Amino acid sequence: MAGRINFTASINGQQVGPLDLPEDLMMVELLQEYLNLTGTRLSCGQGVCSACAIIVDDPEGGSRTVPACITGVAWLNGKTVRTIEGIAGRDEQGDPVPSPVQQAFLDHFSFQCSYCTPGFVNAATVLVERLERAPIPVEDVEDAILKALDPHICRCTGYVRYYQAVRDVILSTPGLTIGTVAAAERPA
Amino acid sequence: MIRLLRILGLLVLIAVVAVGVLFWIGRDRGATPAASVDLANLGPDQRQQMLERGRWVARAADCAACHTDPDGGSDLAGGLPMVTPMGSVYGTNITPSTEHGIGDYSADDLYRAVAQGVAPDGRNLYPAMPYPSYHRITRADSDALWLWLMQQRPVDKPNRPDDLMFPFNIRPAIAVWNALFRPEAEPFDPQGLENPQGEYLVDVLGHCGECHTPRNLAYALTDDHLAGEVIEGAYAPDLRPDALARRGWSGEDLVAFLHRGLSPQGVMTFRMFPVLSHSTSHLSEDDLSAIADYLADGTQLPGPQQRPPGGATAMDGHALYLGLCAGCHGDNGQGQPHSSVPLDTNTTAMYRDPLNLIRIIAEGIPERDLAQGERMQAMPAFGGMLSDQQMAELVNYLRERWGGRPGDVTTGAVTSVLERNESH
Repeated sequence: MAGRINFTASINGQQVGPLDLPEDLMMVELLQEYLNLTGTRLSCGQGVCSACAIIVDDPEGGSRTVPACITGVAWLNGKTVRTIEGIAGRDEQGDPVPSPVQQAFLDHFSFQCSYCTPGFVNAATVLVERLERAPIPVEDVEDAILKALDPHICRCTGYVRYYQAVRDVILSTPGLTIGTVAAAERPA
Repeated sequence: MIRLLRILGLLVLIAVVAVGVLFWIGRDRGATPAASVDLANLGPDQRQQMLERGRWVARAADCAACHTDPDGGSDLAGGLPMVTPMGSVYGTNITPSTEHGIGDYSADDLYRAVAQGVAPDGRNLYPAMPYPSYHRITRADSDALWLWLMQQRPVDKPNRPDDLMFPFNIRPAIAVWNALFRPEAEPFDPQGLENPQGEYLVDVLGHCGECHTPRNLAYALTDDHLAGEVIEGAYAPDLRPDALARRGWSGEDLVAFLHRGLSPQGVMTFRMFPVLSHSTSHLSEDDLSAIADYLADGTQLPGPQQRPPGGATAMDGHALYLGLCAGCHGDNGQGQPHSSVPLDTNTTAMYRDPLNLIRIIAEGIPERDLAQGERMQAMPAFGGMLSDQQMAELVNYLRERWGGRPGDVTTGAVTSVLERNESH
């Protein structure tokens, strides 16, 4: 019989808790069953496919994604978390506005069934934010995208459109890269 | 003053003579037994039998463990680094390439290299080549191995020069080492042995002691046979019967571990994973049972034991375990078949030295096809998510809960392990 914990966290900018939770609860279950944040997708349940990747913001170590299916509330207690519901912005009317990464995925038709998309959005968002703090040479961009998205499994579009969309965002956003991209390589 | 110089001179002279004598003794490679058969006149059946035996010898002796080409393409073309405190040596090309491999070797040459550590040109091999273990290989097995090796596809890949620091890069000096530490080359004699097959596989061909036996300051094997040693940044555990019993091994589990790479006690990791894929997974159940029996040496191995709960486990470690580990390994360390090993019977937390436990948590383990269809998913690396203090708390929790060890690993010890192994 698992014990209980007193859980608090910042999730998408909202203070959550204190909640009395089973100490062995996995984050995906908290999000879906307790908080009605159903955008985080449970797929493999083993931390392998990254469909359930959520963002943990560490003011010192930077942001990272963790698989919500195998990361327990015991680890996330007191931390700052973003899920797919917290990525889009809002316009003046309060309607959601896709983030640059989300818009690029739409523009590139990066997904079909969309089951893996929240994980890809979060991983690409963390990558873009990392490059804002520490730009990399243009020639290293593709390797950086590969490394960031490699853990994510997609069964529909064969990854290329996700990769192209993220490359597009990175190369067209000032300040993320060092050096210039050759004209031939410039995204359309 | 002059008297002092005379004494000093005499001492230098004695030292030079002593080294000279040792060099002379070490240069003597010992007798080479005659070939087991007339290799130039083999009948087709005999040849086929020898080739099969040769393949078995190559697998049991795990030639590919060191001679494989890390770039792929050949198990025998060399290039794999072996990292020692003296520098790195690289596995050589043992394909039958005449230019870069051993295509010019006679069967006598192969025996001398394998059993005595001497190349055909008289050059000493570094004892990274485990000739101190192979020295008892039978001439018949050496001949069968030669026949099999000469049948393999030649790969014209040059050998990579060794990268050893002075004075270990002086090859002739190995003769002195040989005089002191190389056993006599005595072909294995099964007469009178209780379990000759097990002994031959463990001590001669399998050369288990090359990693599992402690080494002395001269990097030679000590008499503490299979008592465990840290090598290439990982702890190769104590394989003596009492230690195996204490860690909850059974004969059956040892066989399963060597056959499939997995048992309730753990999964093949570090340099044991290639041993599984190149060697033990190809051995018959009889061979593996002989190995298990030889290691048990008559001791009744009890199998996994229900451990009484250890001392008070730190709550910090408990929260870290539930938050980062339990999602796969389970609240009670029960694991999940084919994806996450059980921790309640795993032996890694049972070692006195926390080295392997810290490295596995920090670095993770790649997804692996083990053997006989067994596989395990990747374990993520948690090094970037845990401070050294948190790592110590988690390691201590695992040691106390399932390792039967005290939670005495300090943050400093964790820092030291992680810094030492950054290059691995």
